Amino acid sequence: MTNQSHLPRTLLRARRDLLWLLVWIGGLIIVGAWDFAFLNQPALARLSRAVLNTLFVGTFVVCVSCLMGWLSGITLHALSEARNTFLYYVLTFLFNLIRSIPQIVGVLIGYVVLTLLIRADVLRSELSQLIWMGSVISVFVFLEISDLVRERIQHFKNLDFVDAMLCCGIKESRIVNVDILFKNSRAHLLHKMISVFGITIFLLCSIDFIVSVGLSTDVSLSNFPMTLGGLLAKLDSKQDILAISSAFTDFGSIGALFFEHLQGVSTAFIIVFTLICIYNISNAFVKRHRL
Amino acid sequence: MDRKSLTTMKRKLLEHTFSVVLVAAAMLALIVQFGSNRPSLHADEASPLADYLSWRFLDFGDPLDRALFNEVYDATHPGSSVSGDSLLQAIDAYRREQFTNELYKTGGEERGITEQKLWKLGGMYVQFIIMYVVVMMLSYYGAQTLGVVRFIRLKQHRSSHIAELVDQFSASSSSHDRSRLSLFGKSIVLVGEAIVKGLFLLILFSPAYVIAYSIRTEFSSGSYAFMIVLGVVSNGLLINYANRFYTLLVAESRKGYVETATVKNLHAAYAWDAADGIRRSAVLRLRKQFFGHVFHHIYINAHIQFQRTLKEHASFLITGLIIIEMALNIQGHLSYEMLKNILYRQYDVVLLIILGIFVLVKLTDIAVDVWTERVARRYENVSL
Repeated sequence: MTNQSHLPRTLLRARRDLLWLLVWIGGLIIVGAWDFAFLNQPALARLSRAVLNTLFVGTFVVCVSCLMGWLSGITLHALSEARNTFLYYVLTFLFNLIRSIPQIVGVLIGYVVLTLLIRADVLRSELSQLIWMGSVISVFVFLEISDLVRERIQHFKNLDFVDAMLCCGIKESRIVNVDILFKNSRAHLLHKMISVFGITIFLLCSIDFIVSVGLSTDVSLSNFPMTLGGLLAKLDSKQDILAISSAFTDFGSIGALFFEHLQGVSTAFIIVFTLICIYNISNAFVKRHRL
Repeated sequence: MDRKSLTTMKRKLLEHTFSVVLVAAAMLALIVQFGSNRPSLHADEASPLADYLSWRFLDFGDPLDRALFNEVYDATHPGSSVSGDSLLQAIDAYRREQFTNELYKTGGEERGITEQKLWKLGGMYVQFIIMYVVVMMLSYYGAQTLGVVRFIRLKQHRSSHIAELVDQFSASSSSHDRSRLSLFGKSIVLVGEAIVKGLFLLILFSPAYVIAYSIRTEFSSGSYAFMIVLGVVSNGLLINYANRFYTLLVAESRKGYVETATVKNLHAAYAWDAADGIRRSAVLRLRKQFFGHVFHHIYINAHIQFQRTLKEHASFLITGLIIIEMALNIQGHLSYEMLKNILYRQYDVVLLIILGIFVLVKLTDIAVDVWTERVARRYENVSL
């Protein structure tokens, strides 16, 4: 048997995270190709834009929350080491406060502010609006990374090598940032970043759906940039996904789902498929790196 | 309880109480602020233009009356900076606003926090709490049951259907025709199982609104059962917490005491319903017990750790319930009321609802802290 014939099994057993990543990318490409062939041009343009905007916000949130989480984690660590109890408790209290607000409520408040900013003509471009959306979500998800950073520092603090490095005259900031976090916690951080990406997709789609359905029925508020949630909230998309249930009672209409109801079905599928793949990538990553 | 854990518990309770008091004070201040700055619904009483509209003998929709008004105004206000024409335009804009502005159209009778509104919100809040508790209990049970089933499958060395399929195809290349036929049959069964599992996963990972709108388009305020089912199965809540419990079970099963217990003749087989295996009925029970089996201890130890994750579970669950109520536009529910009030810019009501949700999260945090502390006391064998 050649090495090539071992490849699928190797991927299935040892590198399932990579396999799921390939499944996700492959799935998106297949859906894209199908839509390119059978979906009308305006809907295809909307769907492409929604996918790109959603992925952009997801990536932005991952980067920003990683930065915020890292910074807040080491700041809290430094404050506790310096025995600056007042500042330490103030920051901890603030973070616990953010934790106590359900993410969706926090993000919704951010969207209300976004609406006011758009009305006041402060945020005009689509990019700035997407960045605002990403920043708001980051505020409510970065604590996961912050907690991880603190946990990793605490874990290594209990080992001898930190004291040994301190005795060798190496700065504590270097030990924490380079040796503990960068060299020995990359896999942990990467795993958390994958989870944050998943949470972001879920929150973004949900909030855009809510805002599009709930905040625009009676009043024409400012138009937000198109995302998968916003696209799914459109009336024609909702009618498309309603056709899914009728396919269970009328098997003859299953075919129509893939040709006539493509906009809604594709949007819903991309959201759910992305969430499943990210979950599996994250799980397989944990397994491979024994986190 | 030893002094250290008592101090830790007191500190936690103090922190929770302090944050509730601080946030409540800040929000109440904002509520008062928003309440006093509310745009008056009866703006016509305050507006100078309202005086003109109160003239019953004049119809501003009639061109003759308008021309008459214009001429009389210009004649009686010769030195005024406002001409009759511009005043008429302002009156037209004002009348138009009365027809189009949502402040004049909907919810007007309920603006602000009145006693009646407080009762209404209180009812919705109680309803929200009941749903939250029911979904919490169901998802807690569901997550544990699914986690246990997955763990037992792992112990039975069952891999994913796709992996089993790949293995079968690899094996079939070296086997003879008859076994190839039986492998083909097995493959069909595996594909069937994989499809069912795939559909099951699609449901578990779907956001609530995807499932809901694929079933129907309108939701009444009485759809409690539907909302509870959605709350449990959708938004990835069940699958994520089942996975968390499964991870804890796996980590626990690797500990040394498990092997010691096996050596001491505790049952360690994981076949379903075998004499030394796991009974299906025990997995499905509310209070799961596996006496005489090493899994009993794995389960108890993992369960204690799982309790500590309830805070995150609660927060995510509330997020899910809010998404369901808002996305489905179910009238008469707390989250829908919040969304409606955001729309009407009644921020004092919005803040009151957010405060209620915040208090619910904090109460859950306190309950979880007290519960985990009591369980820890029981198992860690600490004394004063």
